[in-house]
Amino acid sequence: MQDFTNETLDIDALPKYEEVVLNAISRKYWRVALLNIAIFLLILAAAIGMVLFFVEGFRPYLYVTTGIYLLFSILLIALYRTSIKRIGYAIREKDLIYKSGIISISTSIIPFTRIQHITLNEGIFSRMFQLGSLHVFTAGGISGSITIPGLDINMAKAIKEELNRQLAKVD
Amino acid sequence: MGTDFSEPKRQSAAGVAVMFADHLQRSIRVLVFPIILLLVRAKGMNHWYLIAGFLVFLFILIIYSYLSYLRFSFFLDEEKQEFVIQKGVLSKEHISIRLDKIQQVNINQSLIQRIIGVYSLDIDTAGSDKKEASIKAIDHHTATILRERLLNRDTPDPTAEKSTDEQRLKSEPLLKLSTSTLFKVGLTSNYGASVALLMGFIFAIMEMLKNYTEAFQLEENPIKALSTEGLNMISIGVLLFFALLIVLGTNILRNFIKYFDFEVIKKKAVLAITSGLFEKKHTLLKPARVQISSYSQNYFQKKLDLMNMKFKQASFDAADEDDKDNKKHDIEIPGCDENERDELLKMIFECIPQKESTFIPNYRFLFLTIMLKVVIPIAFFLLIGWVLPHLRPYFWWIIPYAILVVIMLYFEFAHHRLYLSEDFIIKKSGIWDVEHQLMEPHKIQGITTKQYFWHKKANIGHLVLHTAAGTIHFKYGNYADIHRMANYWLYYIESGKKDWM
Repeated sequence: MQDFTNETLDIDALPKYEEVVLNAISRKYWRVALLNIAIFLLILAAAIGMVLFFVEGFRPYLYVTTGIYLLFSILLIALYRTSIKRIGYAIREKDLIYKSGIISISTSIIPFTRIQHITLNEGIFSRMFQLGSLHVFTAGGISGSITIPGLDINMAKAIKEELNRQLAKVD
Repeated sequence: MGTDFSEPKRQSAAGVAVMFADHLQRSIRVLVFPIILLLVRAKGMNHWYLIAGFLVFLFILIIYSYLSYLRFSFFLDEEKQEFVIQKGVLSKEHISIRLDKIQQVNINQSLIQRIIGVYSLDIDTAGSDKKEASIKAIDHHTATILRERLLNRDTPDPTAEKSTDEQRLKSEPLLKLSTSTLFKVGLTSNYGASVALLMGFIFAIMEMLKNYTEAFQLEENPIKALSTEGLNMISIGVLLFFALLIVLGTNILRNFIKYFDFEVIKKKAVLAITSGLFEKKHTLLKPARVQISSYSQNYFQKKLDLMNMKFKQASFDAADEDDKDNKKHDIEIPGCDENERDELLKMIFECIPQKESTFIPNYRFLFLTIMLKVVIPIAFFLLIGWVLPHLRPYFWWIIPYAILVVIMLYFEFAHHRLYLSEDFIIKKSGIWDVEHQLMEPHKIQGITTKQYFWHKKANIGHLVLHTAAGTIHFKYGNYADIHRMANYWLYYIESGKKDWM
């Protein structure tokens, strides 16, 4: 493979984003996720229960349905668990790195000079655990923006402030 | 109207007529069904009532148009560097646009405006600022000066304006589409859109014929006869020939209406583009505002040395779309040859981007796409055929389908390339129409790298570059290379002072 060489610059000597040690999000976020999953599973269970109750033809499949439901629940919880464990973020001197994903692991980097604005969201459950999620927007639309969930609220506020300070410096 | 924009100004007096036409058109569009209903229901009613009602309606519209003309004013706030528009009859609207947010100012002319002899001036802003403004009636001289003031933001100098006007008259166009080029473009591009248009048309006619024959209970139904007796090869051939002729005809016609008299003129640092047969379009393009430039060419066009160019500008809606066209912000040059392309690229980039190093996707690119588009659909079809026996005679369709799709995927793979140089990123892609997308690294908003977990060992990954005019994907590349590129571009963006807009 050829390289795009540049006489004065050794690309391998540049800081490597892929080797940055990432911070994990707050452990409490797992509880928020569990609450969300629990509500979803409860609604699903209620719907299945309704079908079993009103449609007599389905009753013989009671055990099969329960089995599939349990399997699905375990799978969902396991998937959430790993996906939360995989989330990592880092703030470098000049950019923001965010890594996530289970099947396809993606890493996004946004230079501070390209940030348009930053918002801090607190959901109901997140607020119960003093957590918040940070949205960093660029002109690249939704796909070009980053959302870091499950940050300790004080930490999130500090990051937001720091990023805003960086933005002001850039301007 | 003068050339002093610091005081609130109204539109040209003829604006009343334009507004009237505009309101009339809009209200007719809204009221057409109620009116038809009224006409059908009110058979016994005196016609004079209807006519009187219509006249009253027209009178109200005229007054409303006049009021909206009176209430519409605009001015340029030099101090705040803002362009302000005030309008609204019942509710007042105050639109202020920061000059540095203005991307593009277009001077257009619709049919009505052409008859009256005025132009409209539309201001296009970037980013999440969704407010867009347009002045519906303005004379050409004022419009061009206002546009220049909005875009250039330098101190007004009447003599300079005059000289630019003269310059405009004298300067040779950078590119001018001749009738024959337009004809060639019509022959070789945009088959998809024309076929869709034609299909819609044919279905509408078929449906109408069906209703017609059913309504009159005709015994001879041509459509039914066709479908029951079946078509022999010759009639299919004739039909296909006519379909092809109609597709090409509509293509050529569409191109003529849209791009008649297409001209690109270089004016100082901007490109002025005019085109249109019925509706004249004037567009000014600032090279710094272009996010992605692209040119595309298919096999026929290559033989004719003809290509299609597109300049994508920043827009909040477009940023999320991959390859979809955002017509409003895109500036298209329907036909140009290699020299003209290089001239235009030089205007945009100040040099012609070179392909210094080439990056090729891994053969696994074919793996997954063949799996998704050939193996799985065929397996699915076989499974259904296994359940439903009457589908079995159609099993042989699998063979031409598989061959066609594999060939298409192979071309997609063969055309999927990334070319890099120090200051440029060039991405090549496409199956039939081969497109080159060109951009400078400082237009990048963010970088995403992706890897499926089973590709870790093979060291393969994907690259997504987010820009304000959409994304650029490079799939199945060497992940180590992708890391190096990303690190280089981050360095380029973060160490340089170049702004993306």
